[in-house]
Amino acid sequence: MSDWQNSPPADDWTIDELMIARLAACFADGDQACNGMASFVPVSAFWLARLTHAPDLVWLAGAVGLEPRPDRVPASTLEAPLWRDSIMYVEQYGDFWNFALNGRWLTKFCVGAAQLDRYGNGNNSVIGADYHNPRVRLPGTAGLGDMGSIGKALYYWNPNHSPRSLVESVDFISCAGYLGGGSERAEAGLEGGPELVITNLCVMDFHPETRHMQVASLHPGVTFEQVQEATGFELPAPEGQLPTTAVPTGEQVRLIRDVIDPDNMRRREFGG
Amino acid sequence: MSAEKLTTLPEAASLVRDGDTVAIQNMATQAAPMALVRELIRQGRKELGVVCLVGGIPVDLLAAAGAMNRLIGAAVSMEQFGLCQRYRKAVEAGAIRVEELSETALNARLGAGARNLPFLPTRGLIGTDLIDVNDNLVMLDDPFGGASVVACKALVPDVALVHAHKADQFGNIGYEPTALWPDLGIMPKAATTVIVTAEEIVDSEVLRANPDRTVLPGFMVDAVVEAPFGAHPTSFFPRYGYDTAMHLEWIGATRDDEAVAAFMEKYVTGPADHVEYLETVGGAERQAALEGWEQT
Repeated sequence: MSDWQNSPPADDWTIDELMIARLAACFADGDQACNGMASFVPVSAFWLARLTHAPDLVWLAGAVGLEPRPDRVPASTLEAPLWRDSIMYVEQYGDFWNFALNGRWLTKFCVGAAQLDRYGNGNNSVIGADYHNPRVRLPGTAGLGDMGSIGKALYYWNPNHSPRSLVESVDFISCAGYLGGGSERAEAGLEGGPELVITNLCVMDFHPETRHMQVASLHPGVTFEQVQEATGFELPAPEGQLPTTAVPTGEQVRLIRDVIDPDNMRRREFGG
Repeated sequence: MSAEKLTTLPEAASLVRDGDTVAIQNMATQAAPMALVRELIRQGRKELGVVCLVGGIPVDLLAAAGAMNRLIGAAVSMEQFGLCQRYRKAVEAGAIRVEELSETALNARLGAGARNLPFLPTRGLIGTDLIDVNDNLVMLDDPFGGASVVACKALVPDVALVHAHKADQFGNIGYEPTALWPDLGIMPKAATTVIVTAEEIVDSEVLRANPDRTVLPGFMVDAVVEAPFGAHPTSFFPRYGYDTAMHLEWIGATRDDEAVAAFMEKYVTGPADHVEYLETVGGAERQAALEGWEQT
């Protein structure tokens, strides 16, 4: 176990490392975490948590390999180099969805979405008004269409905060957030819901009553005006000074760079 | 006496008819029955419906060949190699209709098909728009008074295509230690006809030595074909990794029609059979590199 608690803030952190450290802080001992495809930020965050504050965080890599021991983050977060050295291979049809649907386990889920609206509804299906005649066909909902509806706490990560990805309204809901806001999600019989949105500019959460997305902290050097300009809907004006997102410690940065992801796979998610 | 199931790739592929709904084992860049997919294109199959959990290059090749007009699945992506561009273009042009399901909804549709039920429910998808655009999904009150669920209509694919490590001549299918590909758990059990390619055909005694690794019984399987490296260019753990170079070559080709035609001629319609295909992609030397995984 590294001496992460007494490590001073890093002076050369980069935005990917800040996002990974912030997401890692959302996972604790006693949680189970799983990742899907092209999920370098969540995979690095789970791993960082396990090396620092949450050594007993359970990780189900690629939703198939329990407690994997990869030697570094590989080019794919679904393929065998991530999960081949596991303590259990989990079968998807029978086991994985039993674990996830049961309600007791895997209560937090990290989501990447092409579009996200003010109430945390996600879209990975189609761009355009007509589902059957889309302007752009996106990859599809995969497991998100389930995770949004079965009581999970959702953690969105978005390395490219822009009006294209944070939109006035999604063209199509393929991951249920707070729907039309207020009590709509609860009235639909759904528990859980979006908790945080971690972007390359800020961290956002959701107002407890309106369920509207709001800035919770600004990353160092970023202003509220910059965030508003990069967001496709109007954000509530902050009441007073917004906190600054904690920067990763020197030890966290070292672990990410030297131990977890020496090949910089995480950078592939940025600048797209 | 068990029935003989061993046959050739062309004979096995001929069990698939134009218009059939075909379930294809695949997880992005993993475990697809590619030798069968190439043979279906070689034989000029048309108007197929493809069922997949997360379809990758097999879906893109079938779309590029004009062999499919509908997809039932949870996602189509080659993960690190990006979206399937030919599939995407065909959907945007109206040539492929998509029934997009969440993973539990696809599992429920297939599970109902496997067990001869009219439907199975899921709690996924509630609150999304995917229910409204799909006649096979209906909100249903819990008859026992609990929260509503989504009824997912039974799906019985005409054919399921599976790739495996080992098979005997009677269609018993053996797997080496690996994560069981998501589709193996349900797709072949729901389908009317099951076709399996295997890395190697073995004597039944080999399967008897590890009966816990037999994943499909011979009575469920209609045809088995020996196809070493039959999942190439997707990976097939633990035997070989995915072929990065070929995925990149395909992604490069998808940008223009001539390059797609050249790729299809070189790798799909050109080679007379699977043996010629393996020579075309680099033969034993390339296979040895992919077996090392680090080349991927």
